[in-house]
Amino acid sequence: MCKPDQYHSLYKHHFLSPELRDLLRNARSAVIQVSDRLRRFSLDPIMARLVLSLITLLILQSVWVTIAFESKHVEEFSEELLLKPLPDRKVLAHFHFENRAPPSNSHGRHHHLFPKAISQLVQKFRVKEMELSFTQGRWNHEHWGGFDPLSSMNAKPVGVELWAEFDVPQSQVDTSWKNLTHALSGLFCASINFLESSTSYAAPTWGFGVNSDKLRYGSLPREAVCTENLTPWLKLLPCRDRDGISALMNRPSVYRGFYHSQRLHLSTVESGEEGLGSGIMLEQTLTVVLQPDSISGEANIQPSWSLSSLFGRNIVGRCVLAKSSNVYLQLEGLPSHELKNVDPETEADKFWKNAEFELSLKPDRILREINSFLYMFDIDKSSDREPFDLGLTWKLPSKWSCQQAPLHSTRFLMGSGNERGAIAILLKATESQEKLSGEDLTNGRCTIKANIFQIFPWYVKVYYHTLQIFVDQQQKPGSEVLKKINVSPSTDKVSSGMMEMMLELPCEVKSAAISIEYDKGFLHIDEYPPDANQGFDIPSALISFPNHHASLDFKEELSKSPLLSKFKEKSLVRSYTEVLLVPLTTPDFSMPYNVITITCTVFALYFGSLLNVLRRRIGEEERYLKSQAGKRTGKLKQLLSRLKAKIRGRPIEEAPSSSTESQTEVQSSVFSSKLLFKIILVAGAAAAWQYFSTDK
Amino acid sequence: MEETSDRLNPTTDTSGLMPEFDPKTMRSSKPGLKRLFITAIVLSSFLLGLLFLWKSVEIYRSPLPFNDIDSLSDQIESTPLRFPCSFHAVFVGFRSTDPDKFRSEIQDGINQLTHQSSQCGSCNFSLSVTVQNPDDHCSKALASDPSTCSYRCGVIKRNVLGVGLEDSVDESLNDVFSGCSGDSGKLYSVFVVNRENADGKDEVKAVVGKRRHAWIVGNGLEERYGDVVARVSEIFVKVFMNGGREEDSIHGEFMPVGSDGRIVLSFSLLNSNPRDWVYDWDFQRIDESFLAPVTKALAPIANISVESQVLYHTPKSSFSSWDEKLQSYIFRTSDLPFFVNSNEWHLDTSAGASGRSKILQFVVYIPSGKECPLHLQLPNGEISKTNGFISPMWGGVIVWNPRNCDKDSGSPSRNTISPQDLEQIVEVFLGQFRQLFGFKSEAIYTSGLGAYQILPSKKGFTEWELDVLSRKHTCFNLHSCSTTLGSLSRLVQSLPRMIIKDEIGEQVKYSLKAAKLAQSNASLGGYSYSASSSRKARSLAEDAFFHPSIMSVSYFSYEHCFAVYSPFFLPVLGHVFLAAWREWRRYKQEKAKYLTWLTRKKTA
Repeated sequence: MCKPDQYHSLYKHHFLSPELRDLLRNARSAVIQVSDRLRRFSLDPIMARLVLSLITLLILQSVWVTIAFESKHVEEFSEELLLKPLPDRKVLAHFHFENRAPPSNSHGRHHHLFPKAISQLVQKFRVKEMELSFTQGRWNHEHWGGFDPLSSMNAKPVGVELWAEFDVPQSQVDTSWKNLTHALSGLFCASINFLESSTSYAAPTWGFGVNSDKLRYGSLPREAVCTENLTPWLKLLPCRDRDGISALMNRPSVYRGFYHSQRLHLSTVESGEEGLGSGIMLEQTLTVVLQPDSISGEANIQPSWSLSSLFGRNIVGRCVLAKSSNVYLQLEGLPSHELKNVDPETEADKFWKNAEFELSLKPDRILREINSFLYMFDIDKSSDREPFDLGLTWKLPSKWSCQQAPLHSTRFLMGSGNERGAIAILLKATESQEKLSGEDLTNGRCTIKANIFQIFPWYVKVYYHTLQIFVDQQQKPGSEVLKKINVSPSTDKVSSGMMEMMLELPCEVKSAAISIEYDKGFLHIDEYPPDANQGFDIPSALISFPNHHASLDFKEELSKSPLLSKFKEKSLVRSYTEVLLVPLTTPDFSMPYNVITITCTVFALYFGSLLNVLRRRIGEEERYLKSQAGKRTGKLKQLLSRLKAKIRGRPIEEAPSSSTESQTEVQSSVFSSKLLFKIILVAGAAAAWQYFSTDK
Repeated sequence: MEETSDRLNPTTDTSGLMPEFDPKTMRSSKPGLKRLFITAIVLSSFLLGLLFLWKSVEIYRSPLPFNDIDSLSDQIESTPLRFPCSFHAVFVGFRSTDPDKFRSEIQDGINQLTHQSSQCGSCNFSLSVTVQNPDDHCSKALASDPSTCSYRCGVIKRNVLGVGLEDSVDESLNDVFSGCSGDSGKLYSVFVVNRENADGKDEVKAVVGKRRHAWIVGNGLEERYGDVVARVSEIFVKVFMNGGREEDSIHGEFMPVGSDGRIVLSFSLLNSNPRDWVYDWDFQRIDESFLAPVTKALAPIANISVESQVLYHTPKSSFSSWDEKLQSYIFRTSDLPFFVNSNEWHLDTSAGASGRSKILQFVVYIPSGKECPLHLQLPNGEISKTNGFISPMWGGVIVWNPRNCDKDSGSPSRNTISPQDLEQIVEVFLGQFRQLFGFKSEAIYTSGLGAYQILPSKKGFTEWELDVLSRKHTCFNLHSCSTTLGSLSRLVQSLPRMIIKDEIGEQVKYSLKAAKLAQSNASLGGYSYSASSSRKARSLAEDAFFHPSIMSVSYFSYEHCFAVYSPFFLPVLGHVFLAAWREWRRYKQEKAKYLTWLTRKKTA
């Protein structure tokens, strides 16, 4: 046991010595200053000594505090899992891994627990904060919750979403972003590099929730998320999926779920010290919504489940490198009036084994929140012989509902045809008791604020003047409900358009809708993706409620759990809308060649006939024809006239003497020789082409 | 005009002065040129237009100096690069007064050993010999182009050298030569000290120092004169020229330096099962105290950066068996190809390294409790002392066993590898690193004539070894630069529809310039300068070859061009050519008719 301590102290010495010296020097000078001042005021010497000793004590204390703080200067890792039964008979599992690297100068070079690749990424691209999420399926805000920290942080749009804030001069932000997308796409086996082109990302100013001008945001709705994205994500964990909580991630069961979102959030923490780099915090979460296999016959009883039935695996021990590894079970909407009166000390059993449900393991701790209970399990005790297999058995039918965001949002397309259309975002009021908490009572009016952030690809040419806002099905002028709006129009083939708007709606609003019209643009033939006929995706819009913050408020004192402290922080309530699919006119991709061929043929015909007219000798031709008139008629002509006669049923007119007849006849013979010549010419050209093409 | 004249023809016939006028073969008027003129103009403007079109669809190709590239590769092929080295042999305590004899014999010995081959990166040596007799009088036989270095006579006393520690001897020899400047090649010296010792031990000690000196000390060397001369020439050739390496054991292609002249040393500590024990290391200290001098010493050859990480749950993929006699688990040399577990060892690095850097992995493998202690058994049945192995161009692996293999039943202990153990590990690393560069990791070099003790340097590489590396590296870089540029020029010439940006042209130009500079530096003896400029030449050549613009646009082919333009040009050209040809034929015909008429008229 003494070895780790040695290790710590070694570290301390290494990092502390110059800083401590500085601190002590400052302290000494402060003491001298104070004593000077006291002397000047000629206070009672005893008093002065007392004050002095007090100051030295204070300073010493501060030094001790820094030492205590310094002991945190090793890389730390923690793993946690939150399980939560959902009202619609599903179970949510939220894995949360946190890895902290202390401020150091050797970032990107020497690491013990923290993934080197991430640290190098941060160093190289000067990333201040970054979030990358891979999601499949859509978060069901009605049933899975819309007003809790879990949903506001982990309900992500379909596909890939990436945003990053950089610590570089304004002019280099775009370059850093482009390089970062390439690095990430290599790291996570995904086509994040498509976010490189300036038509696919935007720079939100305030609508996204993070106010910075060095922020870039982009999303790829079409990215298919699968196990090849999870494996590199797991590689960043020190235990990968070999040990600890992450051992539960059995790929078939994880991907069988209804919703799957893997997220990576990293932020740098400034050390505030000279000459010392900044610390990095890496937060990796995986949120899955699974359907337990229901065995019980009764329809209204919630399905019972255990970890092994959900995932097909067990936890056989903690990841030994983790500082803390806990499993939490959150139960919402329990008959709290019964349990609230129970004293947790004496009748603890009632919390986890009662008439309504039963847990298979005794929780180590029970935390109470306003409308939910949190059971905490430490998986330290589990082993190979005795795996940690938490199970929940329902005995009585129970029903509860989740907290809802103040407004429920949907987005859809209007209009038909391949030319124009309109996008509408509909906000509907929910039956939320939390609605009152975030309302703004300024000007004596109760209002709900909602931010809408939307990116439009350039080929969806939005007309911002057609923006219409309806509140409770009545059109309102913008000045009444629109508090703020920021629009950056798209430039064809250069940049995407972005719209940020802040709506201020009355609290008693039933529904609000905004609609905006657009024209569909034409893409260059090279710009179409391989499956152009499938349509084009408009990324999800982000609806956030700046005055509503979700957090879990625990009555008990919190243990040092990163997950719970994350939940205790106030997080902005936000929800993403659906991805829209816009069908664009797609050309026949062989068309350019057809067009070229037809135009060229027309031109060639025109040119040829013009040239013929120019060099024609009409008089000479006529004389020639006259001289030919007396001669024998062509065989072809004879045959033709014979055929004609047979068809008409008349006798053959022998040797017609009219000049017009002879003229046509001559023409036909000339025509046939011309034809022959042309065929030979074409054949010659083909042969030459064949010869030259095979030669090379 | 023609029509009217034709129409007039018969009238002239009938009224005619010439009754023999035949309208089929003759004509009386001059044939007109109008239509011929028109068609000729159309044809010529069309051909001009074709030229313009050709010019307009032409793509931009920056002019590449093909001739320079060819001459560079010819030059490198025909005349291998040789560096000037000056060898100086000092015989102390020899009574002979004929240094020229020594010189010619050593020269012969060197020539015999090098087989007169002029391998690239070898020495273009000049040999000088000084003989100092027991009374400290010198006689010299200098090279044809005497360098600025000269041996100050009498500095070395015959009974002093080789008495103390080898390191101090090495230091003292460094001061022997006066007026040496680093420009004109490197001076390598061998001191042969013939000692007259009372104890009469017949022992000959041969040591190669850390710098560029070697010394042979012994009794009665003058009697074994031929043997001594052979050993001196062997030191010059095998040690100073070839660096003690086996003949071509490591080819230039296996020089572990990335094509951009960078090496990333990635150190990984693998805890194969952290449930048994977890070990950590303080690598930063190692980096600062042990690896920094090495990277600094190798700076002219490669830009080296060091990274480290600790990985967990990384079992090896080969099996090991318990050996009762050795009381340990054993893996054999036949298992080595399967030792590295690429599925579980996520050594991959690094966002920091650009794509063409060479990454050398150095792995410390800590076995799990089930296979502890783990030892490597050599084919001769012995246990490997280093307990590690290298894989050329990949890196090295060291198996490090914890002191105590009994694991606690409780929670795994978290330990730090002690600094002493870590130093040992780093020593093995350095040995492996030297091996990756083709040097021996032992301190003794044995040849047919005897053993030489080689003093190890704290920097990992001695100065003469660094010289060898510089020479070989320059040579390899220039060779690779010329082949890369050569294939680039062949590629560019074979694909006429490929866009070549100015950037590529510039890179090729600078690469050639750097190669020229490296060559001239090499001939002047500036080892590190030539190494670094050859590195630059190679990396620029690779940059040009792998320029992203080369790949993207090589698809706009002649076929495409033909498919787009032929529907217009083929039919129109047909019309125009036909018309011009017909008009020309007709004009000739009519002119002949006119001429026959004229002759007829004349004869008449």
